[in-house]
Amino acid sequence: MRSSNSGVIFNVQRFSVHDGPGIRTTVFMKGCPLRCLWCSNPESQDFSPVLMARDILCQGCGACVKACPQGAITLSRKEGRKIDRQKCDNCFQCVSACLYQSLTVCGEPMSVDEVMDEVLQDRLFYKNSGGGVTVSGGEALMQSRFVLALLEQCKKENLHTALDTSGYGKWQNMKALLPFVDLLLFDLKHLDPDEHQRTTGVDNKIILENLKKSAKYTSVWLRIPLIADFNDSNAHIKKIACLGKALGVEKISFLPYHEGGITKNRQLGKNACLLKMKAPDDKHILTLKGIVEKNGLNVSVGN
Amino acid sequence: MQTASGLREKVISKAVRNIKRGYTDDDSQRGMYREEIRLDLQRSRLMTESFKQTDGQAMVIRRAKALANLLDKMDIFIREHERIVGYQTSDPNGIFHPIDQNWRSVLRLVNSEAGKTLLDEEGRKELDELCAYWKGKSMSDRHQESLPEDLKRYWTYEGTFLWTQLSELGIPDYDNLFKTGLKGRIEQVRARLEEIDRTIPVDYVDQKEFLEAVIIALEAVIRFARRYASLAEAMAAQEDQPDRKAELEEVARICARVPERPPETFAEAVQFFFFIHLIRYVEYSTLGVGIRIDRLFGPFYEKDLREGRITKAEALDILQLLWIKLNELGLVYSPTVSSVYGGVASLQAVTIGGTDEAGRDVTNDLTYLVLEAARRLQLIEPSIVLRLHDGTPDELYEKAVDVIKTGIGYPSLFNDEALIPLFTRWGVPDEDVKNYAVTGCVYIEIPGKNVMRRSVGYFVLPKCLWWALHQGVDPKTGEQRGARTSDPSTFESWRDVLDAYVEQVRFFATKMEQLERINLELYEKFCPRPFYSAVVQGCIEKGKDARKWVYPSMLHHFTQVIGGTNVADAITAIRKVVFDDKKLSLPQLIRIMDNNWAGHDDIRQACLNAPKFGNDDDYADQVAREVHRLGEAAMETVKDRFGFSHRGDGSAVSATYGLAVDTPATPDGRLDGEPFADSTLAPSPGKDKKGPTAVLNSCAKIKAVETYNHLLNQKFLPKFLEDDLKPTFIGYLKTWKELNVPHIQFNIVDREKLVAAQTYPEKYADMIVRVAGFSAYFVDLSRGLQDHIIARTEQRLM
Repeated sequence: MRSSNSGVIFNVQRFSVHDGPGIRTTVFMKGCPLRCLWCSNPESQDFSPVLMARDILCQGCGACVKACPQGAITLSRKEGRKIDRQKCDNCFQCVSACLYQSLTVCGEPMSVDEVMDEVLQDRLFYKNSGGGVTVSGGEALMQSRFVLALLEQCKKENLHTALDTSGYGKWQNMKALLPFVDLLLFDLKHLDPDEHQRTTGVDNKIILENLKKSAKYTSVWLRIPLIADFNDSNAHIKKIACLGKALGVEKISFLPYHEGGITKNRQLGKNACLLKMKAPDDKHILTLKGIVEKNGLNVSVGN
Repeated sequence: MQTASGLREKVISKAVRNIKRGYTDDDSQRGMYREEIRLDLQRSRLMTESFKQTDGQAMVIRRAKALANLLDKMDIFIREHERIVGYQTSDPNGIFHPIDQNWRSVLRLVNSEAGKTLLDEEGRKELDELCAYWKGKSMSDRHQESLPEDLKRYWTYEGTFLWTQLSELGIPDYDNLFKTGLKGRIEQVRARLEEIDRTIPVDYVDQKEFLEAVIIALEAVIRFARRYASLAEAMAAQEDQPDRKAELEEVARICARVPERPPETFAEAVQFFFFIHLIRYVEYSTLGVGIRIDRLFGPFYEKDLREGRITKAEALDILQLLWIKLNELGLVYSPTVSSVYGGVASLQAVTIGGTDEAGRDVTNDLTYLVLEAARRLQLIEPSIVLRLHDGTPDELYEKAVDVIKTGIGYPSLFNDEALIPLFTRWGVPDEDVKNYAVTGCVYIEIPGKNVMRRSVGYFVLPKCLWWALHQGVDPKTGEQRGARTSDPSTFESWRDVLDAYVEQVRFFATKMEQLERINLELYEKFCPRPFYSAVVQGCIEKGKDARKWVYPSMLHHFTQVIGGTNVADAITAIRKVVFDDKKLSLPQLIRIMDNNWAGHDDIRQACLNAPKFGNDDDYADQVAREVHRLGEAAMETVKDRFGFSHRGDGSAVSATYGLAVDTPATPDGRLDGEPFADSTLAPSPGKDKKGPTAVLNSCAKIKAVETYNHLLNQKFLPKFLEDDLKPTFIGYLKTWKELNVPHIQFNIVDREKLVAAQTYPEKYADMIVRVAGFSAYFVDLSRGLQDHIIARTEQRLM
């Protein structure tokens, strides 16, 4: 376990308007135990900092080739810049050498104070828009001691707080956070354990248990990544709606699949997901909204 | 009631196309105006005719008689849909050029490829004859003749400032005119004449000539309106269609009454206003509108409603008809001016919202109706300025967002709490300060006061920095053109760079103001404005033409500053790369930069990667604050003809694009000729990496009260203003307000649509974008200016 004073964070995103109400700053924690096939933030999965290569910004100057002590980077007219990820030992000397911000490190240790400095700069925006701070990931529960310290600090500053989580973690850890969470953005991928296991790499038992327990403590928005022909059947959404209703969640958010993760996978030197995924069409999303509303729950798309 | 789309078809757009960038051709194969637009020689012809007859008389009388000749003899007509009448030319497609100001540029224009459709062969011949009379007599001739040799060097534009003649503004005193009518005004003039006959002041002859000229002008205006009354009556007699017949009869009735007598109904007030607006524009080609339209017309509308004379739909109709009239005004610009006014017609804005002098909110039913008229018609002019203050109703925010969402670029938002302390610092008296209005772009004025507002010109601040890095010497020619500031090799910190920069600002502001001092004296002598003087407060009481005195404040005299962000980023880059990181010496950096970075991309990248304004980072923002604050303080040490400080102003128009062409590479990593960051507060395009909240936080550090009014453009996707996100957008606006940023306006469009409009201009002929303090049809902009707008950072929703 890391010390609570420092967390590994891959982005502090100001002006977030899709992670809870109003204008928010979203703190993205690094590291995730899930490997969802549709993951839109694959750079968040590993706990340690990773090298990202944006080939589009590469000017072919060769500075990174010279800088790399492992000889992991090659440059050729035909193939452009290639990085041998096997050889790379994440020393990031190439990042310092790159003039064009084509090579960057994703993930850096930050203290609670450093995060708060950034967060507090937008305090007026939170106040006027009903926004606040969202802690997201990766999976925030993986760094729960840091997240606890951060959320505690946010509440001391009287900020509205949201925790965006897959729900996959120890209940103990989650429970400790909840007194400092005004809104839980609880991601729910699939109710079927096999389907869940197949597409995320983990069982959903812990997730569902944590959902049921946490709903008693705080407001919940259930967030469903909507993927065509995977979790978007009328029956499945109806089940989720019934569960949400039973637990008294505030609303259900549909987050239609987008391809943002594919580019990032390429930048990480990972093979993009082999399955072809797409979002349901608008008409079907409307049908699904209707199903949720019929069950007496609020529903929104995109947040 | 007429439909908005039906009315839109009646609009004749006289917006100027932007075909140049500074002095280089951009899209020169295009006409500067739409093909159907014609240069109308009537004003030139009738003014010249009168001037030939009045040789030897006092200039103020000659100007009044020339105006009277024009108003008495010009062809008049009423278009088939019109109920608000009055035209400045003999043909609906006409635009006029003020030959008495400057005839050379129009002659050049009509003989160029870009202007050849404006005039036929016969017209060209007549124009030649008319110009022959004005040779040596136009304002620009007199100006050139009067300049001492040294100042002539600075009159020629070389990239640091573009001194301009055009762009006089001013808001007539409609409040009082509506109480007295012109008839009442004439009575005041006669009373003053009687008074001076008794008291015989030291300038008795001047006063008498001026007051007599005012009577000549005002009586001509009354006759002009009556000509329209007669025409409408005659047309009504011929009209078979009963609805139209009734409309024409109403036009006849109204024009027989106003502007001679006070208006009693909404329609009368609007027609009264339009006559005055039109004639102010014909007397001396002016820009802007500036009325607080809801405050001015609201009481008439509400009275009509109460007394059952009008419905909401009918009032909306009248507003839309007025909008069309305003779009029919336009000016002939020179090709160079078109580069800074790309897409403008007459730069007209009306103001809504805000408070009265006592601080009470003025929002009324008409405020909403004005926004609705704009939403329906979606025209480039008039732009709407919405004054927001702490008591602005939430409902008005909501309505404003619905109009902004359409993408027309307005209402642009002005922040009373940020601006009023600034106006107080400018010397505007307490009793007037809350009554400010915006005439066009971000030009601030007080309605009814003799502000005689003029933009002296465009001041290219990055060029001042460039001079500071070269001790005021042009390295190519060896000419000492700027101030002899210290040798950069002796600079020990970024503060030294800043000091040298500020000295250059003071130097060039002085030159500009000296040019202007001579110019204003010439205007007083040769171009008095008897009509305008009669419709603002104070001239009749003083017996003095508006050009002889000025409303006592710093409001009236300013320079449009451009490129402040680039100066800030450049000095920050020097701070980082030279003084903190010690990568190279300042002289080395200057050498590399002067070579347009050739062979030193590493250094250029280091400069580009240095902290930039707009990311809520004090390292850069602190420099930006000092650049604006100290630059302004330097400008204010320069006094104008009336003893008031010269100041900067945020209205950068499209000069950030047009005038950047003559500024070589700068230390922010900018290449030779590359456009500057737009407006006065916007970060360099693509350099604001932390999103819109960080942009506003950075902007808040540049305090309006210690600098000037500012202009800030932001670009968002339409979905941020819709549905669930609309309240969040309003929360963003309220934060802008609370952060005391003085101004903000929006382009609400997605990039794909702009790119598509470049490929298929014919499909997007109506698409409007916000350029600077004005909106324009995207297709009227040159490819380069279009690219500049596309390059502005699009604030994405995360």
